[in-house]
Amino acid sequence: MAASDEVPEQIRREARVVGLRRFHTPSLEAVERRRMQLWLLTAVLIVALSTGAALLSLWPARTWGFARPGTLRLGIVALSVAFCVYAIDKELHLRRLARLLIDERVLTAALTNRLRELTLLLEAGKAVNAVLDLDAVLDIILRSALELLGGRSGSVMLVEGEELVAACVSGNDPARGERVRLGEGIAGRVALSREPALIDGTVAGDGAVSPDRPVSALSAPLVHRDQVLGVLNVNAERGRRFTEYDLRALATFAEQAAAAVANARLYEAERRHVAELLELDRLKSEFVALVSHELRTPLASILAAGETAMMPAVRDEAMEELLDIIVRQSHRLAEMVEELLLAARLEAGEREVELQEVDAVALARVAAHDLGPSGRTVEVEGPEEAIVAADPDLLRRVLDNLLDNAHKYGAPPVRIAIEPGEEEVVVSILDAGPGVPAGERERVFERFARLRDTRRQPGLGLGLPIVRGLVEACRGRVWVEDAPGGGAAFRVALRAARVPAERA
Amino acid sequence: MAGRRPLVLIVEDEPDMLLLLRLTLEEEGFDTCLAADGATALRRVDEDRPDVVLLDLMLPVLDGWGVLAELRARRRAPPVVVCSALDGAAERRRAAELGAATYVTKPFEVGRLLRALREVLPGRGAAPEAAGRSRLGLGGAAPA
Repeated sequence: MAASDEVPEQIRREARVVGLRRFHTPSLEAVERRRMQLWLLTAVLIVALSTGAALLSLWPARTWGFARPGTLRLGIVALSVAFCVYAIDKELHLRRLARLLIDERVLTAALTNRLRELTLLLEAGKAVNAVLDLDAVLDIILRSALELLGGRSGSVMLVEGEELVAACVSGNDPARGERVRLGEGIAGRVALSREPALIDGTVAGDGAVSPDRPVSALSAPLVHRDQVLGVLNVNAERGRRFTEYDLRALATFAEQAAAAVANARLYEAERRHVAELLELDRLKSEFVALVSHELRTPLASILAAGETAMMPAVRDEAMEELLDIIVRQSHRLAEMVEELLLAARLEAGEREVELQEVDAVALARVAAHDLGPSGRTVEVEGPEEAIVAADPDLLRRVLDNLLDNAHKYGAPPVRIAIEPGEEEVVVSILDAGPGVPAGERERVFERFARLRDTRRQPGLGLGLPIVRGLVEACRGRVWVEDAPGGGAAFRVALRAARVPAERA
Repeated sequence: MAGRRPLVLIVEDEPDMLLLLRLTLEEEGFDTCLAADGATALRRVDEDRPDVVLLDLMLPVLDGWGVLAELRARRRAPPVVVCSALDGAAERRRAAELGAATYVTKPFEVGRLLRALREVLPGRGAAPEAAGRSRLGLGGAAPA
């Protein structure tokens, strides 16, 4: 900047010398005019002096006192020489001034150009950072880059795994959504090397230059915090060749663009996260309402039965029924409280269990047998034993919950099928009900899934989430699929503790 | 005498609560008929012509709101006492708008429920089971 400040000072000095005082910053045109004036004056003076000299020689030799012809002639010659020296000096200064002015113009043009670039960069940066929607950000980046460099078409490609995907395209090269493997093609190589590339048709990067492809193109990586987010590609207008200078401008712009892309992504992730949290919060509120309703129902029976039982004239048979109600509903309340606590403990990941060897077949038979008094029948199919690594209490609870589920939501016959394998034993609880729709199969294991249903089924809706928690505590997996022949098949895969003994 | 006992239709899907309400109300001098879902409740209103309906809200088939709306559309519908574990102000308002006479929240005091039923009985001055004649002695007075 110091150098450019000096020039106008120099110009002002030269301008003063050649008499262009009125012009604070003289123009080339003014200098030219001055030069014309100078040479016109010179010509007029030379003509005048020459005429004088000629007249003097024609004049009859006479004595005019001190002004003898010889002296006059000498004077004319001296005047001519002096004026020539003056004119040449001025001419030199004028030339110098003209050169300086031309330099100044070039410099100003270059500065203007640079300023335009910087302004565009700044504006693009501002625009990009004012918008947080990723698609809008990509659009602004591409438009700004094309404007900045006078590009005809271009694209922003983003890294997705091992590929680059054209996320924003102007013109039709490449098509939106087109994928390129990292390291392949020009963009792929730029993404891998993190070095911007100037592509000239004569030395085509990938060797293939079709007529409709631009002859000159730029490609700059979008790198933010040492991570390649994508590549910004710009193709030149027809007849235009990009230079190293353009490449540097694009690389500078790409740095800013990368930061904007990263911000937009961060913001989108954050927005999604907040939406999830809000949804979770809403579900929790609803869950609290459901829980209080479900807890109140047995509590209402217990309290009302207790009050009625305390009335003075209750008949004995009525009293017996009232006490039955109190006991039954107390059990129900206790079960629900237990269920809530278990779900909370599982959610907190508190359940650390020591796995033991458990015979899944024996456990299933006991679970089926214990359902006998309730009138629910369960058939158990499988080998004579299948030893798994599990906690017997937890596994029993899993079976009870799944059997209860099968009777409540499915339809009889309900079966337990046990298939031992090399690594895993799969325990399946099958029913002949309507099954679980494909879209619901993951959701049924989520807490609060019940809330999205009709809410008409009594209970807290924690049965399956608890099952999943318990199975995972036993390092197993649980999922649901269609049972062969219809109905739901809830499958629990547990680690086989040892290969089942060969039996004759 | 039996014809003089007011008839209460108990609509409740919870078996123990249904049993309990029947026991308590019959001990208190009411006749009862029962429904475990909304559709049955409407049928029994038509067939049995109860003097008052004791209505739960969370019911299968047709819920309590549906029953209230249906009853309001009828010319000679019995008064309804809602008895639900839902206790929000919004539910109370909605029930009142749909024509429910009283709203009792579960868990409830038996005495309060009985008072609520007696209050809405048509011509309750003539209701046969006044405080003194109640077998359980829980007529109008609040329980201790």
